[in-house]
Amino acid sequence: MLSMEYIIQLASAFLGSMGFALLFHIRREKLLLASLGGLLTWAVYLAAGLWVEQDVPRFFFASVAAAVYAEAMARAAKCPATLFVVTAAIPLVPGGSLYKTMQYFMEQEFALCSAQGLNTLLLAMAIALGMLCPMSLFHLVRRRAPEGERSCGGKQ
Amino acid sequence: MEQDFHYFSPEELQQLARLEAAGQANEYLYQVLEIGQDMLQCGGEVSRVEDSIRRLCLAFGAERADVFTITSSIVVTIYAHEFGALTQTRRVMGTQYDLDRLELLNQLSRRICAQHLDLEETRRELAAIRATPQYPFPVQLLTYVLVSSSFCVFFGGSALDAAASGVIGVVLKYLDRVIRRTEANAFLSALLCSCLGGLLAGLAVHNGLGDNVDMISIGNIMLLIPGLALTNSLRDMFSGNTISGLMRFIEAILLALTIALGFAMVLALF
Repeated sequence: MLSMEYIIQLASAFLGSMGFALLFHIRREKLLLASLGGLLTWAVYLAAGLWVEQDVPRFFFASVAAAVYAEAMARAAKCPATLFVVTAAIPLVPGGSLYKTMQYFMEQEFALCSAQGLNTLLLAMAIALGMLCPMSLFHLVRRRAPEGERSCGGKQ
Repeated sequence: MEQDFHYFSPEELQQLARLEAAGQANEYLYQVLEIGQDMLQCGGEVSRVEDSIRRLCLAFGAERADVFTITSSIVVTIYAHEFGALTQTRRVMGTQYDLDRLELLNQLSRRICAQHLDLEETRRELAAIRATPQYPFPVQLLTYVLVSSSFCVFFGGSALDAAASGVIGVVLKYLDRVIRRTEANAFLSALLCSCLGGLLAGLAVHNGLGDNVDMISIGNIMLLIPGLALTNSLRDMFSGNTISGLMRFIEAILLALTIALGFAMVLALF
C-alpha cells in the first residue's frame, strides 16, 4: 500500500520542509522537529486519501494535524508554535496551484483561471481554518485570565 | 528677580513629577515598540505581537494598554494614573522571516514580564538578539538547492529535473543577494528572479539537461511564490485581523501575478 510514489513524496516533503525551516533560520534540534512536522502533515494528507477523494477536506485534516503537532512541540520545546506550524504546513502550501492560476490569467484562459483560482482559494481556506481550530482550542484551554482590560487571545 | 526664589507650589510639583514619569514611560514604551516591531518583521503573527506588546506595557507599570497592529504599523496607547495617556506609533517595513529571532524575542518578552527587567537590561538584551548571526551564505545557498530539488521531486519531476532545478536555485540565490544590496522594489526583484528562472529552465531542457520545463520551474517557483503569505493572510482574516489579512492577500496575489508574468514571458521564447 505504501508505494514507491508515496515514499518519494514523503521524503521530498520532509526535505522541502527542512529547506524552508533553514530559510526561516530555525536552529538546531528544532530544525529536525520542524521538518518532521512537514513529513507528518503530508502523511496525514495521504492517509486521508483512503476515506475522501477531494483535496479540500484532505488539506483540512492535514492542516489540523500540523497545528496539533505544532502546539504539542511548542509546549515540549518551550517556544512559539509559529515555528512549527509554518514549517509543518509547507507541503500543503498551494504554491503550485496559485502559480497555475496566474499562468492561466496570463494566457487569457479566464474560465480555467477562475476555476483554478477558486480551487487555490478553497485550499488556502481549508489550511487556514484547519490551523485555527486546534490553535484556538489550545488557547481556550490554557487562557488563565490575562491581566489586562481586554481579553484577546492569550498567546505567549 | 523675585521669580527666581519662588518655591514650587504643590500643584506645580505634582505636575513636574507627572512630566518626569511621562518622560520615563515614553522611554519604556519606545523599547516595547522596538521589541514589537522586530517581532512583526521576523514573521510573528499580528495577534502575537499585539498580545506581547500589551503584556510588556502592563509589566512595565501601565494600568491600561491599547494596541492596534497591522502588518505595516503599530499604534500603542498606554494609560497610568501617574502620567496620564501616552501614544507612540511605528511604521513597519517589510517582513523577513527569521523564526529563530522570533523565538528569542518571545523569550525576552516573557522574561521581562516575569522578572521585570529595567530599561538598561532590556536594551542590552535586545541588542544581543539583534546581533545573533543568521545562517552563513553557503548554508543559504544549500537551502535554495534543497528547496528547489525537493519540490521538483515532490511535484513529480525526474532526478535530472531536480538537479537542474537545484543549480538554478543557486543562481537565483546569487541574484537575490545582488538585488537585495540595491534595495530594489519587491515586485521588480520577483520579476527579475522569475525571468531568469524561466530562462535557465528553458535553456536546460533545450540542451537536454532536463526533461520537463514545468517540473524544473515548479521547484524554483516554490521559493518565490507567496503561497505561505496567502495562507497566512486568510488565517489573519479568520482570526479577526481583517485589515492585515487583506493587505497580505493583495500583496500575495500581485506578487504571484508578477512571478507568473516573468516565467510566461521567457518561456514563450522557447
